[in-house]
Amino acid sequence: MEKNSELLPGTLDLLILRLLARGAMHGYGIALRLKTISGDVLQVGESSLYPALQRLLLNGWVKAEWGASENNRRARFYTITAAGRKQLGVEREEFQRVIGAIQKVLETA
Amino acid sequence: MKLIRRLQYFLRRRRQDTDLAEEMRFHQAMVEQDLERSGMTAREASVASRRAMGAITRMREESRGVWIWPWAESVWQDLAYAARSFRRQPGFAAIAILALAFAIGLNTSLFTVFNAVALRPWSVRDPGRMVHVFSLLRDVVKQFDETGGFSVAEYRYLAEHARSMTGLFLMRSEGGMHTGVGRTRAMYVTSNYFRVLGVEMERGRGFLAEEERTGSAEAVAVLNYATWQNRFGGDPAILGRRMRIEDVPFTIVGVTPPDFVGTSPEPTDIWLPLGSMALLAPNDSWPVKFLNDRKACCADVAGRLAPGITRQQARTELGLLREEFYRQFGEKSLGVVLAGTAPLQSVGRKAGNFYAVFALMFAGVMLVLLLACANVGNLLLARAVARRREIGVRLSLGAGRVRLVRQLLTESLLLAVAASGLGVLVAFALPGPLFIRTVGEVSFPLRPDSVVLAFALGLAMVSCGAFGLAPALHATRGGLSDALKQRGAPRGRLSLRSSLLAVQVAGSIILLVGAGLMVRGVQHARTLDPGFAVQGVASVSFDFPATAYQTPRVTGFYQSLMQGLEALPAANPFGFTEIEPLGNTRSYTSFHLPGQDRSHEDGILTNHVSPGYFQTLRIPLVAGRNFEPADAGRNVVMVNQAMADRYFPHERAVGKTVIVDQPLEIVGVVRNAHTWTLDDVDPAMYWPLSFGLPPRLLLSHTAANVAAVTAMSKSLDARVEMRVTRLSDNLDQWLSATRIAALIAGMLGILALSLAVIGIAGVFAFAVEQRTQEIGIRVALGARPAQVIAVVVGSAARALVAGLLVGLAGAVLASRLIGKYLFGLNPLDPLAYAGVLLTLAAAGLAATYLPARRSLKLDPIRALHYE
Repeated sequence: MEKNSELLPGTLDLLILRLLARGAMHGYGIALRLKTISGDVLQVGESSLYPALQRLLLNGWVKAEWGASENNRRARFYTITAAGRKQLGVEREEFQRVIGAIQKVLETA
Repeated sequence: MKLIRRLQYFLRRRRQDTDLAEEMRFHQAMVEQDLERSGMTAREASVASRRAMGAITRMREESRGVWIWPWAESVWQDLAYAARSFRRQPGFAAIAILALAFAIGLNTSLFTVFNAVALRPWSVRDPGRMVHVFSLLRDVVKQFDETGGFSVAEYRYLAEHARSMTGLFLMRSEGGMHTGVGRTRAMYVTSNYFRVLGVEMERGRGFLAEEERTGSAEAVAVLNYATWQNRFGGDPAILGRRMRIEDVPFTIVGVTPPDFVGTSPEPTDIWLPLGSMALLAPNDSWPVKFLNDRKACCADVAGRLAPGITRQQARTELGLLREEFYRQFGEKSLGVVLAGTAPLQSVGRKAGNFYAVFALMFAGVMLVLLLACANVGNLLLARAVARRREIGVRLSLGAGRVRLVRQLLTESLLLAVAASGLGVLVAFALPGPLFIRTVGEVSFPLRPDSVVLAFALGLAMVSCGAFGLAPALHATRGGLSDALKQRGAPRGRLSLRSSLLAVQVAGSIILLVGAGLMVRGVQHARTLDPGFAVQGVASVSFDFPATAYQTPRVTGFYQSLMQGLEALPAANPFGFTEIEPLGNTRSYTSFHLPGQDRSHEDGILTNHVSPGYFQTLRIPLVAGRNFEPADAGRNVVMVNQAMADRYFPHERAVGKTVIVDQPLEIVGVVRNAHTWTLDDVDPAMYWPLSFGLPPRLLLSHTAANVAAVTAMSKSLDARVEMRVTRLSDNLDQWLSATRIAALIAGMLGILALSLAVIGIAGVFAFAVEQRTQEIGIRVALGARPAQVIAVVVGSAARALVAGLLVGLAGAVLASRLIGKYLFGLNPLDPLAYAGVLLTLAAAGLAATYLPARRSLKLDPIRALHYE
């Protein structure tokens, strides 16, 4: 198995929301896309992906609907909601702030 | 929002589960497809994808865990599991629930009554700030501090000066008034009454300050909502309507809202301003005296505490004001006490007696609950033992003990809550009718409210802990090996059963002895000689329209009546009395002996009677002479034996003098008679009849006599209302509360007995089952039936004896507590005790019979093959 980079806690939700902001995706698609975009650095296992999706559902930031996949199988597609977009903005800002802070510490300390 | 989504998820959780499963399958298929593309064979890909998906179950659990707090789901599981197991054993569940429901129902019913009479204040705005004010006074008879009301003058002083109250009002209930629409219960109040209470009128208004004064321009009245509906048909034009009270026209100015039931334990039909008291009895000097004399006693006072003032502060201020008021006249006074406004608290310190009775009754019903809990505990224990294997297997598969105990407790809780539900239903049905039957009509509602529901739920929790915890702990003790052996039950299990058995035996003995004593007490009271003729004597009261009559005219009426009766031989003997025998009225006066000063004053019961009184009631003369007609107005009295014995122990009382303001000569002594109460006869003093209060006529109760008196009364004045009662009815009424108490106690006793029988039978059946092999061996070796039975009974003998001894000791203690409600019956009445022991022995035999017979019929071969 390849080595996975560990995600900062909470960033998985942010990344999922960001991916969904471009359009509806199913769970497998989200995992695949995350892997490709990050150049195989971020590989997320099912055991964290699906609970994360449930958490987003519970908070009302995404919606789930059954539809047909690319190869015509029944798959569950997730779409971002208005509340989810708002949350994405908030979390993105927060993330930038934290990263900026970490950067600063790394550079000046 | 989140909660709603959680709930939606919970309601559709099956569907959600299949969704998730399907999603997983899709995911796995996609991984498989990818792997195949990268060059694996289909078979390899399938294995690899499955491995990659790994802990799919854990992932599903975690996904679900996002939605549901894990414990909430497991509680649900426990409940469902418990419900399923009860459905499999409906008999067990039904018995357990019924036993508990009975016990909880009784407790909840009693608490419903207690809540209504002792805890629930007036239904007015912010009732917690309302207080009842009582004056402290020294009881002349019993020699301790008592509480009483205030004179109007005292009240006015307090109301004017008190800063600790935002309002203080005075009220006085008046039994019955003629209104042309039946008898009406009225209450005289000060004009601020409705305002201080914060009552929002349904119609019209409350009273104005000027309406409170005597001689106010217009007589006004406020109707109770129910009176408006029932007697005036809810007339929408009720305001301004006239109604005649004692022939005086009153104008109705307001109607109270339906949820205001008044401030008296008895229903109030109509409120009148204080001043109209004089208007309604223009010829009587009493109202004027009452409204003005500072010593005229008395009326109830209540009020609302000013913001930020505590009861203690208000009590101090009002007490000082009362002293200040009396200092103006060079007199001393005791302080005041404040109490809440629940019906029971409105009687001041006398409430103590009621609390004592409630405490006794609660002790009784709590004992029943304890018995029921012990019983259900025993049933649960038997069940837990039967499930030993299941529990053992679950323990060894890694179930936590806490988890298992919790699950067993959930089962108990389900039983307890179901029983509580039934118990609350009982509390809705039982207390109201029963209370009204025993005590009479009341204004306050006797229905369970939220406080009662909380009480019932609390009982469920407590009883669940009581009967469920020990069996649950016992059942989960030890491990798999113990459980699978199924034999050699640890001693502890049996000893828990034994102590539960001992509790049941002891509890039922206490209850049965209490019940037995109550029943014997009522029997005793029936055979008690009241000391006067009760059977066949009628008491006739006359009711005069107050505005048309004044004292001379009343006296004239009686004199004509007397002449008429004397001319009628069949009506003789007849007598007059101010106090109706056993009619629940008492009057006292204080007196002292010559040569003593006033500090030696003692209180004594008094009655005004005509010469014919003692003859009619067949109370024999012990010494001296009877009253004669010429005694009226003379300073002579008669006394009863109790008075003569207490104050002139070794001398002749006749001819002695007592001083009540002026010297009075004792001319005769009569035998003691229970004309006031059925308890001990207190010293009493009889005065020659005066007509201050219209006296009652006592004569032999025959149709001819009643007809003759009716005719005479009608011919003298048709407006006079006459009421005939039998003295035996008074006696019955006096006994009816006790009879109902005995009935209830008897039912409790029977309930306790049946619970005990079920318990004993259960324990022995269990003992036989536990020792089947042992008994089989004994039978095979030739043990005789008696020896076998000895083995079975012996297994619980210690528990039985212990229970018996503890029960008897408890019963003796309990007997002393209820001793004063037994009409003088010896609390250690041998008949009651013997009866209880015999009943219990018979019940015990019956309860052991079946299991014992089973043990005798055991086939040794089969017994040894048991397992």
